[in-house]
Amino acid sequence: MATDGVRSVALPGQVLGPVTKFAPGAGTHIFQGNVVSSLMGNVSVVNPAKAPGPAKRLNKITGAALPKDELATISVVRHGSRREVLPDVGNIVLAQVLRLMPKQAIVMIKQVGDTVLQTEWQGVIRVQDVRATEKDKVKIYESFKPGDIVRAQVISLGDQANYYLSTAQNELGVIMATSEAGNDMVPVSWKEFKDPETGVSELRKVAKPS
Amino acid sequence: MADRRRINGPGGTTLPPLYDDDPLPRPTRSREPNGVRPVYLKTGVTPSASGSAYLEVESRNGAPTTGMKLSCTVHGPRSLPRSAPFSPHMVLTTHVKYAPFATKSRRGYLRDASERDLSTHLETALRGVLIADRWPKSGVDVVVTIIEGEEARQFAVDQGSEEWDMMNVLSACITVAAAAVADAGIDCVDTVSGGVAALVSMSGDGKSEIVLDPVATEHDEILAACCVAYLPSRDEITNLWLKGEVSSSDPSLYRTLIARAVHASKGTSQAIVGSLNEAVTGA
Repeated sequence: MATDGVRSVALPGQVLGPVTKFAPGAGTHIFQGNVVSSLMGNVSVVNPAKAPGPAKRLNKITGAALPKDELATISVVRHGSRREVLPDVGNIVLAQVLRLMPKQAIVMIKQVGDTVLQTEWQGVIRVQDVRATEKDKVKIYESFKPGDIVRAQVISLGDQANYYLSTAQNELGVIMATSEAGNDMVPVSWKEFKDPETGVSELRKVAKPS
Repeated sequence: MADRRRINGPGGTTLPPLYDDDPLPRPTRSREPNGVRPVYLKTGVTPSASGSAYLEVESRNGAPTTGMKLSCTVHGPRSLPRSAPFSPHMVLTTHVKYAPFATKSRRGYLRDASERDLSTHLETALRGVLIADRWPKSGVDVVVTIIEGEEARQFAVDQGSEEWDMMNVLSACITVAAAAVADAGIDCVDTVSGGVAALVSMSGDGKSEIVLDPVATEHDEILAACCVAYLPSRDEITNLWLKGEVSSSDPSLYRTLIARAVHASKGTSQAIVGSLNEAVTGA
């Protein structure tokens, strides 16, 4: 995996290369003109000529340095793959609805991007963030039910307890729902799920199937 | 029905424990003054924790007189409790606890003042290493358990050298916690390691000399000691603890003492880097 002149494994504090040669990726930071590893793991170098690597979690440092895309991005990935990630602003997350309140729905974030989280983070979808149009007519009870799996986007780190999420896009909303009778339902329109066994429709903020 | 409100005595007869006197002679330092004891480090020993490490410090001649065994677990990054205020960076909590059987004088189950003191020192040492703003709204708990402390032997109690041993324990705590934090995959600017140097009075003549990684029982008297948490690749110190009386005849002695402690931590750091490299490539 390592290219010429780059170590294959790194420990925190070990220099990976000059900042003129590499762009810092995940698990690295810049110190005195060098890209320095901040994790213990395997070093990977992604050349910009290929597809730009899947940006797992863009932190502030990499975010500022990303435009220099002519440089190869060097990153350190935790060995054993189990790297904990945090939801960050802009991430698409999968969350389960915990409980409903008149003005907001409380959800538990289960997955960020493609990474299943080790710890659970609480999020909230406020009534004005449920959909993009006719926001004044949104009713939380007609958008979600406890137990639904929702695809949502993180819009803010929120307060001490909750991430603020939004489903105000066509692709975002409920992707899995269970009916009152306990059966899995299928989406039939942008605001309805239907129970195939009883034929009863229930209102949801439905995510557009991709 | 048994009385469940009170702690009942045992049903049968018991004998109070009788401890043998330590038959071992008082140890002497066989290492060079600038030698540190070899360490054994293993990461990933606790499967349920996000990161963990185990550190063993043993005297070179293999005599079971001086040595430490520590284990460290790191939990997190995980969500903060609901009562905690918003934090834009990682919240670090450290706990250092002696196992009740770690020392000759039995330790309680609650943390006493010296253990809280060690926790505070460890927190300072780690705080300078972690890149805390990469983990907003999350908390990390670092728990160090001292399975075997240096004062495991009777003469440490007789001599009253526990206070000096705390420095060695702190140094080992810093080293093992750094390894566990690296194992947990939490962003650090460097691998911190602890080191201790002490000014000891030589037996016989009244001269004193500076030794690295001192073991209090091996020396007649420790005049002053210094424990640092040092970042080898950045040449920075995140925590410094110096205590004791140094004669004012040599004003540069304090600086020398710190420099020697840094030297000791460099020695430890090499061993740690070796073990961590093994852990990465072996996994």
